[in-house]
Amino acid sequence: MPTRILSILAYTGAGLSLAVAFCVPFVLMGAFSNAVARAGLHIDAAYNGGTIARTIQRNGYRIEVYQPVQPRLLERIEPFVQVDFAPADALPSRVSDEIDLDGDGQPDVRVSFAVPTDPRAPLRGDVTALNAKYISLANVGGDSFSRLLVRTGNQIVLRVPMNLGAACR
Amino acid sequence: MASRSSALARPPAFRGVGRSILLTLPMALWSLLMFTPSFRQAGRNQHIGAMAVILFMTGLFFLMMRTGETYRWRRIFFVALGFLFPVGFIAALVAERGTMSIPISRMVSGDTPFCFMVTPSLILPAAFAHTIIFPGSILPTASNPHSIAAMIGIWFAMTLVLGKAWCSYACFFGGIEEGFAAIPKRRRLHRFITRFGAQLRLIPWAILVFVVLVSAAIFEPVYCMWLCPFKAVTEFPAVRNLETAIQFGVFIALFVGLVVVLPFLTKKRTQCGFFCPFGAFQSLFNKINLFEIRFDREKCVDCALCQTSCPTVALSKESIREGKTLLNCMKCGACVDACKKDAAVWHLKGTPIAAKPERARLLFLYGAWAMATMFGGSVLANGVHTLIGFLPWK
Repeated sequence: MPTRILSILAYTGAGLSLAVAFCVPFVLMGAFSNAVARAGLHIDAAYNGGTIARTIQRNGYRIEVYQPVQPRLLERIEPFVQVDFAPADALPSRVSDEIDLDGDGQPDVRVSFAVPTDPRAPLRGDVTALNAKYISLANVGGDSFSRLLVRTGNQIVLRVPMNLGAACR
Repeated sequence: MASRSSALARPPAFRGVGRSILLTLPMALWSLLMFTPSFRQAGRNQHIGAMAVILFMTGLFFLMMRTGETYRWRRIFFVALGFLFPVGFIAALVAERGTMSIPISRMVSGDTPFCFMVTPSLILPAAFAHTIIFPGSILPTASNPHSIAAMIGIWFAMTLVLGKAWCSYACFFGGIEEGFAAIPKRRRLHRFITRFGAQLRLIPWAILVFVVLVSAAIFEPVYCMWLCPFKAVTEFPAVRNLETAIQFGVFIALFVGLVVVLPFLTKKRTQCGFFCPFGAFQSLFNKINLFEIRFDREKCVDCALCQTSCPTVALSKESIREGKTLLNCMKCGACVDACKKDAAVWHLKGTPIAAKPERARLLFLYGAWAMATMFGGSVLANGVHTLIGFLPWK
């Protein structure tokens, strides 16, 4: 290609590059962000617990039971089920509940923890598995992504680990 | 004596004051535009911070125009960015949660601010499983404005303009080590770096491949969780067991070794040049970026001043002989400013080499400085008003 045409193309490209630079804060940043947001991506369930399977209403609060989360490939988490208790400020000072995690009408775990009035206070609680599918936890807190009892905003998040064999079924 | 005084004499100004002011005017207006929202906010400290940054960024651009030098003035901005970023960030963390560590509850609720360094690790899981392996949120929330979509949007838009120059105009982490490298002291390990430069340059690529593949296999941002030196000055997973204690130890060791000690000794950006996988990833965008540094072989005398001055060892004897930089050149301008024969020049791809180097420099600098003001300027302003908040007479 002749040098002159190449130079014209180069300067046109440079001009466009400058135009892009000055459009970034007004148009492009938002456009690219929206494109990422619309790409159908989701946060790994190991972090956000996955999707809610069903909601159980209690007196003054609700329990949201999530779909079981399975580790992928070589992911270093145990399979678990997340359970949210919300709103946290409507919970009794001590929660003691039997929860049906798999939706078969039978309770799977017994959960027991105190709800401190200070939202920043660490949580500790116990989970007793009522069948072989789940693993009991004693004095669980913010231990790992699969064994967890923490407060996030106005809800309390519990994660109950599952036995690998049961989780695969 | 006469020769000594002439050697010490300041070189003549590259450009007159009036012309320099004229060329700076667009950047001054851009700075004002970028910080207009800050003046709408209440708070004297915010106003002072914004005003200081407008003057700082405009002043530095003026000096670039006046002296014809790029590296020296860019470095002042970049080091300020590197040191003010942790000030603002850590102060915000401590004010909000009383600690720099990220409790697991914040990861679970998606409140971890997204960091661009993790971007390469996300590609494979996002492409094949539509999953983002980062404990943040895709859209901004009240508790986490630094959402994944917003940060990737900013990064991608800026990368289109800057290419690998992201590493010398936007990456606040690079500013920290450039600051330590700038501390005056005799350079050490120079022979080692010159001799093994080719091998050392491959390490970031090896780490990039390792991080991308292992992250995809174990569905964890491996660099973030195990290898990022800058966790030591931002936030890190709370130490709650042996594994997180080891992670914390690795962050500290890498920070001290690669960001403080080695840059201080070698006067190079050792973390950027010999470790950073994001930097290697960013190098790929140099291929689509129009701006580059080239060498006019007719003027070059092979004195290797450019090679010695390069902070990331992006030049080799062979590449200079070919009139090019290596792929990892971050367009900081150190080699151009160091060259006494004007052989190292700014260049616009597609045009003849050394035909209009100053025009190429100006076109590049307007874009790069606009990005630096937009992205880095807000970081600087945040750091400045945080520092003002510490003053006893605030």
